[in-house]
Amino acid sequence: MRPLDPRLLRQARAARGYVVLTATLGFATAGLVVAQAVLLAAILAPAIQGTATLPDVAGPVGLLAAVVAARAATAWAQERFALRAAARTVAELREQVVVHATALGPRWLTSGRGPAVATLATRGLDDLEPYLVRYLPQLLLAATVTPAALAVVLGLDWVSAVVIAVTIPLVPLFMVLVGQLTAGTSERRLVVVQRLGSQVLDLLAGLPTLLAFGRARGPEERVRALGEANRRATMGTLRVAFLSGMVLELLTTLSVAIVAVGVGLRLVHGGMDLEPAIAVLVLAPEVYLPLRQVGMHFHASTNGVAAAQQAFEVLDEAVPEAGRRHAPRLAGSTLTLHGVGVRAGDRDVLAPAGLDLVLPVGPPARAGRVATGRVVALTGASGGGKTTATLVLLGLVVPEHGRVTWTTPDGETVPLADVDLSTFWPQVAWLPQRPALTPGTLHEAVTDGADVDPAAVARAARTTGLDDVVATLPDGWATPVGRGGAGLSVGQRQRAALTAALLGDPAEVPLVVLDEPTAHLDARGEQVVLDAVRAWRDQGRTVVVVAHRASLVRVADLVVEVTSASTATPGAGSKAPVSA
Amino acid sequence: MSRTTGPDRRGRVGARERVAADPLWQAVRLLDVRWSRVLRAVVLGTLALGSSVGLAAVAAWLIARASQMPPVLTLSVAVVGVRAFGISRGVFRYLERLASHDVALRGMASLRANLYEALATGSPAALVRLRRGDLLARVGSDVDDVGDVVVRALVPAGIALGVSAGSVLLVGAFLPAAGVALALCLVLTAVVAPWLSARAARGIEERGSVARAAMTATTLEILEDSGPLAVSGRLPARFDDLRTADRDLARSRDDGARTAGVSAGIGAGAVGLAVLASLLLGLPALASGALTPEELSVVVLTPLAVFEAANALPGAAVQLHRSRQAARRVMSLLEVSSTQHRGRSPRAGHVAGPTSGPAPPIDPGPSGADRSLVLDGVACAWPGTGRVVVAGVDLALRPGRAVALVGASGVGKTTLLATAAGLLHPAGGSATLDGTDVGSLPRETAARGVVLVAEDGHVFDTTLLENLRVARGDVTPAEAEAVLHEVGLQGWLDRLPDGVETLVGPDAADVSGGERRRLLVARALLAPAPLLLVDEPAEHLDALTADALVRHLVATTRTADGAERGLVVATHRLSALEDVDEVVLLGHAPGDPDGPACVVARGTHAELLDVPAYRWALAQEDAVPR
Repeated sequence: MRPLDPRLLRQARAARGYVVLTATLGFATAGLVVAQAVLLAAILAPAIQGTATLPDVAGPVGLLAAVVAARAATAWAQERFALRAAARTVAELREQVVVHATALGPRWLTSGRGPAVATLATRGLDDLEPYLVRYLPQLLLAATVTPAALAVVLGLDWVSAVVIAVTIPLVPLFMVLVGQLTAGTSERRLVVVQRLGSQVLDLLAGLPTLLAFGRARGPEERVRALGEANRRATMGTLRVAFLSGMVLELLTTLSVAIVAVGVGLRLVHGGMDLEPAIAVLVLAPEVYLPLRQVGMHFHASTNGVAAAQQAFEVLDEAVPEAGRRHAPRLAGSTLTLHGVGVRAGDRDVLAPAGLDLVLPVGPPARAGRVATGRVVALTGASGGGKTTATLVLLGLVVPEHGRVTWTTPDGETVPLADVDLSTFWPQVAWLPQRPALTPGTLHEAVTDGADVDPAAVARAARTTGLDDVVATLPDGWATPVGRGGAGLSVGQRQRAALTAALLGDPAEVPLVVLDEPTAHLDARGEQVVLDAVRAWRDQGRTVVVVAHRASLVRVADLVVEVTSASTATPGAGSKAPVSA
Repeated sequence: MSRTTGPDRRGRVGARERVAADPLWQAVRLLDVRWSRVLRAVVLGTLALGSSVGLAAVAAWLIARASQMPPVLTLSVAVVGVRAFGISRGVFRYLERLASHDVALRGMASLRANLYEALATGSPAALVRLRRGDLLARVGSDVDDVGDVVVRALVPAGIALGVSAGSVLLVGAFLPAAGVALALCLVLTAVVAPWLSARAARGIEERGSVARAAMTATTLEILEDSGPLAVSGRLPARFDDLRTADRDLARSRDDGARTAGVSAGIGAGAVGLAVLASLLLGLPALASGALTPEELSVVVLTPLAVFEAANALPGAAVQLHRSRQAARRVMSLLEVSSTQHRGRSPRAGHVAGPTSGPAPPIDPGPSGADRSLVLDGVACAWPGTGRVVVAGVDLALRPGRAVALVGASGVGKTTLLATAAGLLHPAGGSATLDGTDVGSLPRETAARGVVLVAEDGHVFDTTLLENLRVARGDVTPAEAEAVLHEVGLQGWLDRLPDGVETLVGPDAADVSGGERRRLLVARALLAPAPLLLVDEPAEHLDALTADALVRHLVATTRTADGAERGLVVATHRLSALEDVDEVVLLGHAPGDPDGPACVVARGTHAELLDVPAYRWALAQEDAVPR
């Protein structure tokens, strides 16, 4: 782990400017610290020796006042710009992480990394703020003030300089030594601490359940015992962890004391003048101050560096190469799944396994032609991979086994992986179990802000029952809809999403993929889904529907059972169409 | 502006009351802090930083005296003193850090335990409501923040006070005017700068909270719905939203940074100011003979070491603000929990005897077969909303009887069940267990008679077996396996590496929705209570499994071995209800779609087939696909 990762500077533009500013202020501070010590000595030494009164040293006193003002100004500038730079750096990294995680696809996000990325992006990256605002400036001061002050001490009194120069390398040396000696124990103990802490939180989170079973009054003793065990384990860690802090304090303070005593004894013997002696005495603690501060904010730095590291880990994940080919016209094409198998999470299970599906996407109904809409139902036990199959069809998941091909109306066959998905998706309407709605008014959510014939909206709303919903809402179509459909019930959201999918031009959007909601929908809500599916078919669209219920299976023209299989026997799941 | 009247009104309230009303103070009281321990930490810290001041002062005297070339022996005390101070600082600081962290950790442990106890003995209704918010989810970090107030605010403030007072006295003893000047500069650092820092932190938080919420919501939306957003082409617009939110967030930081910058400038400037003041006052004093040269050296150079303690205070003030916010959330948790409580004293039985171990023995209850739960014209409302969602429900449940509660989602089935279980108080009518108001019974007594299996029941981060033992402390592994077979989890159990001893992970992240639901049902079946209320056991399951599970639940009420059970099951699947004794259909009266729901039809499954709405709904789900 490096204290300042060059990648952070490459990755975040705001961090680069900030480091330059902080370094500049660091150099200024170094100059001011030295000037303050030298001026103070120049004023105080003659006064102590009785050779000067206040009017004699008015010049240096004025300069000292200027130095004090300048130090206040640099501290102001550092703090003033650090917070802003930190906020911008965090924002830059956050955007990159979110964009990259999105490019990695929904499957990567649901593979267990999703919650971690969400935590990192919303909260974890905030750990960079103390790192950038507190730790980094001290690190740069350690690189400017410490050597500058030491150089001046060397010029004034080489013996003191040697004492300091010998102790400075001991500081990191002892810290590393103590750190290594304690690393094993603290890590083991830290695991215990975290485990104990999460057990208490688990009990708190489960309190409603314990209450329902009348068992809430048992574990309070356990909570106390866990808390006590947690304290003891933590104190064990701290007793060792604070040792490094003590070594640091001991070394720095003791060497200042040694310098002071040494200077004092040389003064007695006349080996030194008072003025440099005072300057050395004032400068000695300043040499160590940034080092001490670095040690103090070390904790902040590890969290910040860890957060940056996590961000880089996400950014280092290779994004599957995107197809380049412009998507052909979907209407009249055929999408084919050939023996598709997808590993389910980290289990040794393929879900789906060996799925074959030929999906002609019919041209829409035209005057004088029979509509060629069809409904394909995907059925099977829960966990069989029905939803994953739709993700494969949409190109959001690249299957481990088998492939997906696209046969154009001209008879040319290309792999779906070669197609630029952003040109494919506008030809598909997808309703996942939890549809995403555009924030705005209900009307905007349904029309997606496009200018749509009001009669068409009314017709679609009648099919899905959204018109009844609108009638009960005080603001009707102008009802505000928040992010993710906030403000509407689950059923109302579903209706709005179905309505939106009915509005698209069947010739432009010939394929509808619907993941039937299982939860929170009663038998009557289901009728809405059925009506919408029939309406899409009548428009001449091809509808692929993940069906849980018999009613939906009954309207299907083709029923495909999706099953999972252990990886030991890939392709064992039989996929024969059940009915046609 | 309402703010103008604020200070006036507040001014009349006594300081003591104001402190008592401060959520931070209330929360700190729950830390059960032993003030003697805090004092020890403060004394040790004062000794540590006082060592620095002593080192500076003695070294200043030493140099000034040495420059007069006295006999070396006259310096020996000072030499020893400087060295001793050089060592003592590190040692005292180490002891202080241990002492203050010990106080904080004890406090956090007490706070967690007190919080748990207060919530466990408080109103169940409030807890049911809290489960839905994020308060419980945040309680972990909130407790830490409240506990940190000791290490990061109280102890540093005490140390700063001790060190500053000592230094002012020291300097003032030589030259009173310099002491006053030093005190004024310390006030700048220890009072003005922290006040500005706290103001900056508050400003950032107030102005930034909207932007932060927008940023969090947008980030989560993008990550959760990345697929749908990408397919529908709305992803770039969401990225723009995220950038806008982050820009707003940066702007709020920038506003706060202005104040924080002034605070940092004051902190850095005050030291120099104190030195300058000592020079300006000390030099004439030396000339007039009021000060010796050694004393001048001490008066001028000591302030350089004094400000270290005070410089920690801006950070302490920010911590104080953060802790207060956390304390406010923690206390609101307790407030909600205690206000809606009635029927028994919150402290009744509060003293947990040694018998209340992890698995208190549960009395099976007086003659299980005689228990009865009666709802008489019950109306119920979700706590806090006051809106009555269901009204006028009559229901009688006793062992051996199975009732199904059906109706559209959102009609109020969950609320009705929570009321029947005594977790919510009825908004009207009565819910009685063996003739006593079930909500006023102590929780343990009520749960021995009737248990609710909620949809969002918690799966604990422990083994499968321990999770089942939540229902009854003495469940054996064999019993656990048997009940898991009953609910159709045999295949799942066989795949688990350690069987019922397998850890199921934090909040059952490794368990699928359907498996989790069946696990909750299995737990319910182990409960000793003769009356069970089960909310939506079939959700997240395919039709076949769902119906089998509901049929099994109904069958448990018909056992011949005398261990009879009464059951109310809320479901939206009607296919498996042939065997229940009564189906209660909740719905809205035709003329009143916005009013509370009521019983629109009731009877056996066969009888209800004459009700058009019921028949139609059933037809929609007919024929389980194979």
